[in-house]
Amino acid sequence: MAPSSALQQVLLSPAELSYLHTSLASTPPIRPDGRTSRQFRPLIAESNILPGTNGSARICFDDGTEAIVGAKAEVEKSRPVFAAREEEGEGEEMAEGQGEGGERGRNEWVDISVEIPGMRDDDSMPVFLSALLSEALLADGGFTRKLWINRRFHWKLYIDILLLSQPLSYPLPLLSLTTHLALLATRLPRLKSEKDEDPMFDDDWEASVFLFPQSQTAKPPATLLVMAVSSNIIFDPSKEELAVAEVVLAVSISSSPSSFTPESEMDVGERKGGSLKLLAVRTIDPPSRLTHPGVPNVVNTATGGTATDNMEMAMAREEGVWKSPRGGAKRKLIAEMIRKVLEKGGVGEEVLDGLEAVGLE
Amino acid sequence: MAITILAPAPAANPYPASEYSDEDSEDGGADLERDIDMRPSKRAKRSAKDIVTPGETVTDDPQWMRGHGTYIAPASTEIVATVAGTIQKTNKLLSVRPLRARYTPEIGDLVVGRIVEVQSKRWRVDVGAPVLAGLPLSAINLPGGILRKRTETDELQIRTFFSEGDLLVAEVQSLHQDGTAGLHTRSLKYGKLRNGVFMSVTGTGGGGGVIRARRQVWTMDTEHGGGKVDVILGVNGYIWISKHIEVTTAETAITRMEESVSATVYSSQNDEIAPETRREISRIRGVITLLVQKGLRVDEEMVMRGYSTAIEVDDREPGESNEYLGGDRGKSVLNLLGGR
Repeated sequence: MAPSSALQQVLLSPAELSYLHTSLASTPPIRPDGRTSRQFRPLIAESNILPGTNGSARICFDDGTEAIVGAKAEVEKSRPVFAAREEEGEGEEMAEGQGEGGERGRNEWVDISVEIPGMRDDDSMPVFLSALLSEALLADGGFTRKLWINRRFHWKLYIDILLLSQPLSYPLPLLSLTTHLALLATRLPRLKSEKDEDPMFDDDWEASVFLFPQSQTAKPPATLLVMAVSSNIIFDPSKEELAVAEVVLAVSISSSPSSFTPESEMDVGERKGGSLKLLAVRTIDPPSRLTHPGVPNVVNTATGGTATDNMEMAMAREEGVWKSPRGGAKRKLIAEMIRKVLEKGGVGEEVLDGLEAVGLE
Repeated sequence: MAITILAPAPAANPYPASEYSDEDSEDGGADLERDIDMRPSKRAKRSAKDIVTPGETVTDDPQWMRGHGTYIAPASTEIVATVAGTIQKTNKLLSVRPLRARYTPEIGDLVVGRIVEVQSKRWRVDVGAPVLAGLPLSAINLPGGILRKRTETDELQIRTFFSEGDLLVAEVQSLHQDGTAGLHTRSLKYGKLRNGVFMSVTGTGGGGGVIRARRQVWTMDTEHGGGKVDVILGVNGYIWISKHIEVTTAETAITRMEESVSATVYSSQNDEIAPETRREISRIRGVITLLVQKGLRVDEEMVMRGYSTAIEVDDREPGESNEYLGGDRGKSVLNLLGGR
């Protein structure tokens, strides 16, 4: 579980928390900005904005938070493989499975750095965010395989993620979507040399190849923030909504090649038909657990009540008093949240399609 | 569609198309847009529509006097802007009006604030000003309206009145030398806030946002069975929208008004609020967000007009009523607002 300091605490009064919680828990949920439960805030996106990078993107959310991501690739000499024989054996296996001989990536070929204004780079939030983003990127090894040049050389990809504005809401979805867009736009020079020669590249940028070609179904991952209040599942929560969340999940998805069906897939029903694959799920400690509970009128001396020892009893009887959520999330609820992201025609698909349209423009 | 992705729009042209600036540079053109003042050839380099950034030289002409938002370096005559904003000239006084500024408290302002710190005899309140405002224990109504000196007992249970995070509506009573404001809630209109939502927009100082108006607090009737809703526009740009609660005014003499300070002034328990009311509160919040995004002023008239337009737009569309006011719906509301 993510450290709670990764989510910023917004100071809200118990009355506000209670109002928000009751609104979001009613069916259908009433969000403070009037969105439906699966509606995202409109966002402004563009890619290829930085000329010095292999791929870059900028996304601006409606609440004014903005992020820029640049990906820069360098050729690097691979470390010699010691267990060469074993490696070869695996490579052959892979060659049978994937049709691409011996190409295997290493996680250290990707370097992600997250910078958030007002935070040191060893603060928990940037560290946690970069861990989460790289986890999604490296989850199935397909991404690092793309960085393989030959036995002796590989691409080293530096992904610099910069949040331009103050982190008004939890910046994970913003950073992840921007990274997704930047990787979609990332191009690498075309390789001219063959086999294990020293790599030679075509210096014509027009001839460069996309890291994620449009013809292929494989797409970079995207991480979405999903929260739940009682049994309502809400996408793209704002700062106030997160403050009353009972469960917060960061769900990383990517579109999978249709043949690919990982065995580790949990039993979440209809997902097999969809073209999405689940890469990672993280629960995030909701900040609502740290809030102070409201005081019911009957035990509030300022409202004519009398203080009692048995606060719990008084709380249980009263409506409209804020109680911070206790206990963990129900497994059914978490499965339902993941299903809503992954289902065919669901939110995950729409987000990925929407972002792909930006890259084509 | 769950997600709307927009292409970035080019920045709005700060110089509206006109030959105004060209005329300006030539000597002797008739200046029609501004009041004709008998300006000699010497004048500030910029026109009034220009935006200056901090550190930018506004003029080096010694005939101008520096006003707010400007600075003259020692041993020079250059007037340098210290804030980003538009240049304002009053006779020979040159000042820069900031595009965005924090709220500067003035005595008598109605503000919405949030308690951020509790001390032994007072609360420190965030009102959006550069420094926190203070609310002394002696400046609040005691429950039941008892009039007496505040004792140690009151100091000990200071958190039963307001604790950290609580929202309140108050009036600025005094201003101190260092810019801190002293607040008071000694009126039936003021006190703790509940039964609603909070939102924060730019306050006085910027272009749009809440302005000082005749009425900052009003009750409005809402459509779709929402009932009555109270709106409090704090001058500092903090806004509270809540369900209207009828105060039971049992025969209390005017001299004993304090007694009718109902028992629930310091309650942090919400009353029952119908989903319809919650929807309309969301809608009003959306209207105000829309006004602020467009840089329009936020006052009673604009909010009421915006709300009725939003209802109109909502009714026109088929299907279930939806209080979301983003994207195309927001645009059509703004178009209708501008058209009237």
